[in-house]
Amino acid sequence: MRLQFDEQLDVLNKELITMGALCENAIAMSAKALLEGRLELAESVPSLSVEIDHKEREIEAMCMKLLLQQQPVARDLRVISSALKMVTDMARIGDQSAEIAEIIMLANIHPTDDTRVIHDMSVAVIKMVTDSIDAFVKKDMEIARSVIDYDDVVDAFFNQVKAMLIALFSKPEADGEFAVDLLMIAKYFERIGDHAVNIAGWVLFSITGKKEG
Amino acid sequence: MTKRIFHSICFVALTVFLASAALIMGVLYEYFTNVQQSQLKMQMNLAAHGIANEGKSFLDHFEVTDYRMTWISGDGTVLYDSVSDSEVMENHLEREEVKEALASGFGESRRYSKTLTQRSLYAAQRLPDGTILRLSISQHSIWVLLLGMIQPICMIFAAALILSIILAVRLSNKVVEPLNQINLNDPLSNEGYDELAPFLRRIDSQQRQLRIQENLLQQKQNELNTIIGSMNEGMILLNQKGKIISINPAARKLLDARVDCIGADMLSLCRNLFLQEILSDALKGEPGERTIELHGENYRVDANPIISEDLTKGVALFFFHVTEKEKAEQMRREFTANVSHELKTPLHSISGYAELLKNDVVKEEDRVPFAGKIYVEAQRMIRLVEDIISLSHLDEGAKDMRREMVDLYDLAERAVSSLEPEADAAHVTLALSGASVILKGIPQLLYSIIYNLCDNAIKYNRKSGRVKVSIQDEEGGIRLSVADTGIGILPEHRERIFERFYRVDKSRSKEVGGTGLGLSIVKHAAKIHHAEIEVESTVGEGTTIVVWFPEQRE
Repeated sequence: MRLQFDEQLDVLNKELITMGALCENAIAMSAKALLEGRLELAESVPSLSVEIDHKEREIEAMCMKLLLQQQPVARDLRVISSALKMVTDMARIGDQSAEIAEIIMLANIHPTDDTRVIHDMSVAVIKMVTDSIDAFVKKDMEIARSVIDYDDVVDAFFNQVKAMLIALFSKPEADGEFAVDLLMIAKYFERIGDHAVNIAGWVLFSITGKKEG
Repeated sequence: MTKRIFHSICFVALTVFLASAALIMGVLYEYFTNVQQSQLKMQMNLAAHGIANEGKSFLDHFEVTDYRMTWISGDGTVLYDSVSDSEVMENHLEREEVKEALASGFGESRRYSKTLTQRSLYAAQRLPDGTILRLSISQHSIWVLLLGMIQPICMIFAAALILSIILAVRLSNKVVEPLNQINLNDPLSNEGYDELAPFLRRIDSQQRQLRIQENLLQQKQNELNTIIGSMNEGMILLNQKGKIISINPAARKLLDARVDCIGADMLSLCRNLFLQEILSDALKGEPGERTIELHGENYRVDANPIISEDLTKGVALFFFHVTEKEKAEQMRREFTANVSHELKTPLHSISGYAELLKNDVVKEEDRVPFAGKIYVEAQRMIRLVEDIISLSHLDEGAKDMRREMVDLYDLAERAVSSLEPEADAAHVTLALSGASVILKGIPQLLYSIIYNLCDNAIKYNRKSGRVKVSIQDEEGGIRLSVADTGIGILPEHRERIFERFYRVDKSRSKEVGGTGLGLSIVKHAAKIHHAEIEVESTVGEGTTIVVWFPEQRE
């Protein structure tokens, strides 16, 4: 009985990692499309997001089944309940990556534009997402805490983008569409960072039983 | 062991005990019966005399103790009985002893009473008056006697049991002790039972065989580990559930895996989706390969299912570093594209001029210049094709070219004199200095090194510039230098000028001519001679290219 339960938990773990990998892929594709101006990369992101949503349903069903059939307690319960919460955040990351991709496909942002800050920001956010999944994979509290701390960096980047855009608007030749799109992308990145923080928080919860961050 | 010995001892003791008890009881019981019988006979005689002398009064005075006395008349009627009332007793004529006594004067018999717990011995005698006197004595049956002895028998039983246990334990300990003390690590050193010697010898030989096989196995394992460990390619073995069974250091480094990653899921090491895809295919028994990106480098991953008895028992993953290979591939593709482009350009000119001539739309005085242009372009194509042929030849290492002793100075002289017309046309002075040096090498290649270097020096020179070729025999090697007073090369181009079709100034290529392959040929030819090339250049002042042939050791 326990053996079967362990196997089911193992499958859950694997599915979660796979979903995390899909999220990483989605955000990395969006960022690459944005920075290299390769619109064809952005086109594949919405379908990835759909796949992520399917995974979310799948994992939710799996968690429900485990909760009902095995009635887990203590650590197992924490693992399953945090998995339930984590998939929501992962699905949101997928959705927001798709949103970014859609904005990119409007083609208002050109590779020649000054996107240095957004480049740095995307690198930081990708790092956060990767690290939060890593923290989950390795059950590493250190990495999880570093993700939570790293959110300040991403927030600072968002403020920089905002400041840059305000400066841009003050010029008469300001490209309004570019500025608004860039602002939205920055906001989505910032939200993705928050979801990564949530994931890291749930990783900590599944290990310690205490909710941090 | 103890149990078995105990059983045997117990069995023997009890059997002996029971047998002797039975024997003694049987023999003694019979003896006592006989004694009693003879006593009975004696008493009988006494009583008979008593009755004969005193008649019935004897019986009245008779003190009945152990005996029962019955007086029976000749017709079997009981006249007197010392125990029962004679009146109610039945006729005794049919009794065995009575019958016997009537017939022979004396009779005996033994009978069990109804309860079987008692046996009666009877003796009867015919008295002179024809009556019969019978005496009987009752005797406990053998079973009652045994029953009476139950206590001592039980005690003996118990004693036998206890004794057997003690003996069995001691005996088995004694028997087993030498067996327990056998040193199985060195079976032949044991003394003990001779009966064990064959076993010990067998064990010894098997142990030796085992050691040999173990060593062999260890050796094989070590060999395998060394091979896998020193492989540059990453190798990971997974079981049928995708858990890691073995991972070599290269793969561990590649995936940043911890040492304790054995038993972990492959997903926890690498979340690459392409890798997962081929891995899950491989776990279903389908081999696959994909190129994936890890840490900014490209790796080709081969996933091969390990199949035994039609079941996938695991997967072997190999990681090959292919960034370099892909670069080489790209260079080759670029080269092909460049070659076709370079070949097409002169062909277009030739075809264009030829078409004009064919349609006869060319003025008479233009015919010769047109033919001249076709000739020039054709010449350019020939040079290009020749260069490509020699380059591809060099690519293969020029294996069919024979090395011989040549005079480098001679070759340089020939090259310089053949370039003289071009130098004159470009208003460049060409000078050769140095002395003759003998070198072992491939003459055609050495010639093309000097020729191409000088050719470039002339082409990229300024008007009334100079080209100095010098050959010096120095310590440790031969130094060939070609110095010009030309336009010079910017530092960022210095590495790349040896690439095929690379031109510093792309716009001037047509005007300068040449194939763009000259320096590439120089580089390859120098490599075949193990020579080093050095480029010194100052923009606007000139370039010196030095080819250094290190001294050849035979």
